[in-house]
Amino acid sequence: MSFDLTVRLIEAVGATAAGTTVMVPLDGPDEVRTAASWADATGNTVLMVHPDPVEIYRGRIADPIDALSPERRPGHRLWIYTNFHCNLACDYCCVESSPTARRRIIEIDEFAAIIGEAIAADVAELYLTGGEPFMLIDLDERLRVATAARPTTVLTNAMQWHGERRRRLDALPRDNLTFQISLDSATADLHDRHRGAGSFAKAIEGIGVATELGFRIRVAATLGPDAGTTEQELERFFDDLALEPDQRVIRRVARQGSANAGLAVSRASLIPEVCVTADGVWWHPVAAIDPTMKVVDNWAPLRTTIDTIRDEYRTHRIANDVLASSFPCA
Amino acid sequence: MADRQEVLVGAVAYSANVVPIWEGIRDYFAESSAPMDFVLFSNYERQVEALLAGHIDIAWNTNVAWIRTLRRTGGTAIALATRDTDLVFTTVMVGRAGSGLDGIESLRGKQVALGSRDSGQARILPLHFLHRAGITEADMDLVIFDSDVGKHGDTGRSDLDALRAVVDGDADVAAIGVNTWNSLRAGGDGAVADLAVVWESEPYSHCNFSVLETLPSERTRPWVEHLLAMDWEIPEHRRILELEGLTEWKLPDLEGYRSLTAAMDEQNISDHW
Ligand code: SF4
Repeated sequence: MSFDLTVRLIEAVGATAAGTTVMVPLDGPDEVRTAASWADATGNTVLMVHPDPVEIYRGRIADPIDALSPERRPGHRLWIYTNFHCNLACDYCCVESSPTARRRIIEIDEFAAIIGEAIAADVAELYLTGGEPFMLIDLDERLRVATAARPTTVLTNAMQWHGERRRRLDALPRDNLTFQISLDSATADLHDRHRGAGSFAKAIEGIGVATELGFRIRVAATLGPDAGTTEQELERFFDDLALEPDQRVIRRVARQGSANAGLAVSRASLIPEVCVTADGVWWHPVAAIDPTMKVVDNWAPLRTTIDTIRDEYRTHRIANDVLASSFPCA
Repeated sequence: MADRQEVLVGAVAYSANVVPIWEGIRDYFAESSAPMDFVLFSNYERQVEALLAGHIDIAWNTNVAWIRTLRRTGGTAIALATRDTDLVFTTVMVGRAGSGLDGIESLRGKQVALGSRDSGQARILPLHFLHRAGITEADMDLVIFDSDVGKHGDTGRSDLDALRAVVDGDADVAAIGVNTWNSLRAGGDGAVADLAVVWESEPYSHCNFSVLETLPSERTRPWVEHLLAMDWEIPEHRRILELEGLTEWKLPDLEGYRSLTAAMDEQNISDHW
């Protein structure tokens, strides 16, 4: 009888301090519904439905997604792995790309369909990555679709712009398109150590090509534990290239893929960046081959998947906040 | 205590939730020209004594604690502010659905469940309203639940006990605060399907922030102004307002204490404890 349940709810939540939770035993889905509507009407929050009890948080929980700046909210950006193969085989590559990696190419028709879903899901920006996207000779066709829809950034090692690829590159629109070029150090040593001999010189050359052709570029470094003073040297180097602050990205290696050291990441610890590959949708592009980070096998319907990811993020954040508040210093 | 800079507000710790509520209110005042701190008491008696002794500047009083404060100060105490919900508080008489009871007169000869003896809404006022309708203790069977004495009914415990008596068939009607009734109704139609409102009182005033007249208005004015500036539309404010059960702080309506004043006179309820 829901009178008894409601009295139990009033008693249990009434004795609970705001910001903490209480378990109320329940019996069946009807009681779950009653508890949820009671909590909503009285300014409280059902945090989680366990097999028997329901966990109620005293007070309303501010949406953790609202606490994020708009551009960090899951679904603001959509990451797309156009392919996984690469001309390089960097030792820290988070998705173990190499010339022999399984290619997992998203063909143009499917790519266009994904962009359609992204628009329907109110995605604001597109990030294309791989592998090396420019390994696909017809990448330009995808870029035309993407840039017509949303501002698009392509992560690239900038080493493929020769011959036909260079011609196709030059024919691309400049609007809505940014190339984020990988460069790990100001001199060849560290860069080549992780990314292969001669790759530094080619990256510098690629930066020159993109700049000369009038493309907007951003230069991105991935630093491991051996970075030493690289960060400071890179900043000076970026100054020499006259890069604005928003054209510089310096980040740390994640412990994913080929990297055996670096920052540990998990769904509970990482703000999601929705990421589509030929194999499905992933929590974050930095972990697009880690089975624990895969959200669903199919990218459609994308809006539903983005909602799922947002809900899971909320659950993680709220659980962490409640946990933090339930271990006060004695 | 004259040199104390912060305004010191007393409140009664009727549940664990009182701590985060008052921490929230204190934080809200921290950036104002009237910063405050708070002290929690285990019952309203202690709190009123502390106010009279000057140990606190402001007491967040129930209606019963307010009348006692007023009387102990010869009518000079001042009520500063109140919740919007305190201006329209009512007592609700709840019986079983289909009992045929309708209106306060129908309670003659019935079993009436009442809450704690110091609860305005669940005991003192319902008795007064019954007397006013010509029904004395001799005309009914009282089923008494003194379950949260000292808290003046704040915990809602005695309301729930009285309701339980109705559901279990041990009483015909329970006199409870409208806040408890609303909380029960929030459980959906099923939660109150077996119950029916037999009678609801006219609105009366409930809690207020009480001060002695000796507290200079330079100290109270900015504090009250900042209190009244709390805004439901601002999420951080709304969190506190919702926990404390209001949408807006208001100036008090002293007329709303008339029925309780009459009730306490008629029932010879002591100004002390
Ligand atoms: S880090 Fe980038 S460039 Fe290096 S192997 Fe991976 S995808 Fe290729």
